[in-house]
Amino acid sequence: MSQAKQLPRPTDAELEILTVLWSLGPSTVRDVHETIARRKPTQYTTVLKTLQIMAEKGLVERDEKQRAHIYSAARPREWTQQQLAGDLLQRAFGGSAASLMLGALAAHRASPAELAELRKFLEEYEKGKS
Amino acid sequence: MTQLAAWIRTPVAQSLGWTLVHFVWEGAVLAAALWAMLRLFRAAPARRRYALACLTLAAMPAAFAITLAAIWALRPGVVAVPVHWAAAPLADAPIAAPAARFRWAMILDRLPWAVPVWAAGVAFFYARGLAGWVAVRRLRYRGVCAPAHEWQARLGQLCIRLGIARPVALLESCFTDAPVLIGYWRPVILLPLGCLTGLSAAQVECILLHELAHVMRHDYIVNLLQSLVEGLLFYHPAVWWVSRVVRAERENCCDDRVVEVIGDRRAYAATLALLEERRAPTAALAATGGNLMRRIRRLTMESRGAQTSRAPAASAAVLLAIFAAALTALPAKLPQVRHAHTRAPGPVAMAVAAATPAPQQAAAPLPTPYKKWLREDVAYIITDEERTAFLALSSDAERENFIDQFWQRRDPTPGTPENEFRDEHYRRIAYANEHFTGSVAGWKTDRGRTYIVYGPPDELDDHASGGAASTYPYQQWRYRYIEGVGTNIIVEFVDRDGTGDYQMTSDPSEKEKASTSYRKWLNEDAAYIITDEERAAFLKLASDEEREQFIGQFWQRRGEPFRAEHYRRIAYANEHYTAGIPGWKTDRGRIYVIYGPPDGIVDSSDSKSIFWIYLSIGGAGNTSAFIFEDSDGKGEFRLTHDPGEPGRKAPH
Repeated sequence: MSQAKQLPRPTDAELEILTVLWSLGPSTVRDVHETIARRKPTQYTTVLKTLQIMAEKGLVERDEKQRAHIYSAARPREWTQQQLAGDLLQRAFGGSAASLMLGALAAHRASPAELAELRKFLEEYEKGKS
Repeated sequence: MTQLAAWIRTPVAQSLGWTLVHFVWEGAVLAAALWAMLRLFRAAPARRRYALACLTLAAMPAAFAITLAAIWALRPGVVAVPVHWAAAPLADAPIAAPAARFRWAMILDRLPWAVPVWAAGVAFFYARGLAGWVAVRRLRYRGVCAPAHEWQARLGQLCIRLGIARPVALLESCFTDAPVLIGYWRPVILLPLGCLTGLSAAQVECILLHELAHVMRHDYIVNLLQSLVEGLLFYHPAVWWVSRVVRAERENCCDDRVVEVIGDRRAYAATLALLEERRAPTAALAATGGNLMRRIRRLTMESRGAQTSRAPAASAAVLLAIFAAALTALPAKLPQVRHAHTRAPGPVAMAVAAATPAPQQAAAPLPTPYKKWLREDVAYIITDEERTAFLALSSDAERENFIDQFWQRRDPTPGTPENEFRDEHYRRIAYANEHFTGSVAGWKTDRGRTYIVYGPPDELDDHASGGAASTYPYQQWRYRYIEGVGTNIIVEFVDRDGTGDYQMTSDPSEKEKASTSYRKWLNEDAAYIITDEERAAFLKLASDEEREQFIGQFWQRRGEPFRAEHYRRIAYANEHYTAGIPGWKTDRGRIYVIYGPPDGIVDSSDSKSIFWIYLSIGGAGNTSAFIFEDSDGKGEFRLTHDPGEPGRKAPH
C-alpha cells in the first residue's frame, strides 16, 4: 500500500470535506456544500473546486456514473486519524488536551476484560428489557 | 549557572523552597483527610463527595499560599536590617559547633536548589497545558461537521429543559472517539463521527444530557482551574490523587443528573457501555473522567444506601478543623527548620548594653584575614548561626566559599556581578572610620555601629555645642523607617566627656525612648530647681503623657519668663564654664543656673580664686558670697565657700 503512504496530508478545508463525507457517506457536491454551509457560509463553487483538487490528490474518489457526481472518502476515518496523529501538537499534547475536555467516557479505553464485562452487562440488559 | 546559584539565595527563593518542603506534609494531611472522609461517607451523594474533593483541592494551593506568606513574613531582612545588631561576644559562640548541626546546615544550604527544579516543572506543565488548550480550541474548527438540523433542535430542547441559557453547539468531529464537551463561554459538544447514526435517539439524548450536565455545573472552568493547581503542585502525588477523585466524582455527578432526567439508570449504563464498545481501537482524543466500569457498576447498583444529609456538613467541618490545625502548627514548626540566617532582628537596645564590639580574644585559631572578616567586617550583620557555622569551617577554601555565599544571600540583585549590599556595607565602614574615629576606631563607636547597620540617617541634627535643653554636645539622627524596628526612629548620641566620643543615649527600638528624654529633663534641665516633692511625684508617673503634662504644669507654676531665663542660664553656663565637663554641671554653672548672674565678681590677683557676690538671695539686702577656687590650674573652679543656701530651689 505504498500509494496510501503517498497520499498527501489534507489541509484544514479538505479535512472538513472529508469529515462530511465520513459522516454522510458518499455524497454529491450539493450535499457536502449544504452540510458545510450549516456551520459557516461557503460558496458552492469553493466546495466543488476543493473536491476536484482532492480527487486529483487521491483523497476522494469520484463516481461519474450518474449525472450528479458522487464523491466518497478514499480512506476510512481511522486512516486520517493516524495520519494526523503525526501532528506534533496533537501528539505531544494530546494528554493535556484530554484533561481539558469533559466527556462521558474516560480517555483510557476499557481493557479487554472490561469490555467482556460490558458486553455481558449489555446482553443482560437487553434480556431484561425484552 | 552562577546567576541561578545567586538567585536561590534570595529571600524569594528561600521562602519558596521552604514552602515546597512544608507542602509535602500539608498536601499529605489534606489528602489523608479527604480519603478518610470519603470512606466515612461512602454513601453520600456524588455531588457532596465532589464538593468535598473540590474543597480539598482548593485547600491545597491555599495552604501553599498561606505557608509562603508566613515564611515570607519571617524571612530575613536583606538590606539595612540589624540581623545581628549587638555583635555577640565571640566567647559565647560555641567554637566547635556540633557536627550534626553543621550537617543540617549543609542540607539546608542545598535545599534551595529544589526551587528552580520546581519552577521548571511548573513551567513545563503550564506550557503543556497551554498547548493542550490550543489543541482543544482547534477541535472546534478542524475536522468538524455540523449534524442535521433536527439534532441541533433536539439539543436546544434539552437545554431549555435543563434551564441552560448559553447556546450550546453540536458538532461531529473526526478527532474524538468519545463524546466530549469543550469551551466555557461558547460550549461545544463534539460527538464522534457515526455516533448520531449508530445510536438510537434515546441513547444520543443520554449522551447529550451528560454533556449538558457539565455545562450546567460549570465543570469546564472548574476543570481548567484544577489543571492550574495540578501544574503548580505537580510534585505532590496527593494533588494528583485528589484531582483524580474530583474528575471521577464529577462524572458521577453528571451521571446522576442524567438518571434524574431520563429515570432509567440501566438504559443509561447500557448507552455508556455501547459507546465504549464502539470506540475505535486507534488512539484518539477523549476526555479524562473516571473509570467507566466503576461508573456503570455504580449506576446499576439498585440498592443505594440512604443518603445522609448531615454527612457532608460533618465532613466539611472535619476537613476545616484539620486544615486549621495544620496551619496553627505551622508557625511552631517554622523556627526549627528555618534557614540559618532567618533570625529575627535582635532588639537594638542591646547595642547600648554591648556598646563595645566583639571582644578581640579568640578561642579558636582562626587565620587573621578571616578573623578580621568575622569580627570587624561583618561583626554587626552576621547571625549567630552563621558565626557558628563559620567557626566550624576547617579550611580556607570553605571559608572563602562561606564568605561568597554570605554576601550572595544578601545581594539584592542576584545574578549581577555587583553586590550592592556588600559594596554599601564596606562603604559605610569606611565612612564610619573616616568620620567617627576618636579614641576608638570609627566602626566600633556607637555612631559607627548605627551608621553601618542602618546607613546614613535621613535627617541629622547636630548640636556640637549643646542645645538649649542640654548641655552636652549631642546629635540626633532621624530615620524615617527602619525595617523590623519602626518608623520615625530617632537615635541620640551625646558626647558626655567632650572628647568627641558620642555615645548613644536613646535607642531606636526602645519604646522607653521618650522616658529617656524625660529622665534627661529631670536630671539635667530641671535638676537644680525641682523640689524634692516634685521630683518624687515626677518619678511616680507612669506614662509619657502624664510626664508631658507634669512638665507643662511645672513651668506654668514658675511662669514662662522663668523658664526662658532658666534655659538662658543653662546655655550661658555651658558656653562659659564648660571645661572637661559641661558648663551646667560645674560649680559655677550650678550657682549661675540657680541664682543667675552675680551682682559682683571679684577675681583674686593670682586668678586662682573667684568671688561671686549676690545681694538679694533670700531677701533684699542679704549679701551672699560664693568662693570658687581653681586649685590645679585647669580652669575647673570648685566651690570652696558656700554661704548656705537660703534661696536654694526658690524662684530665681
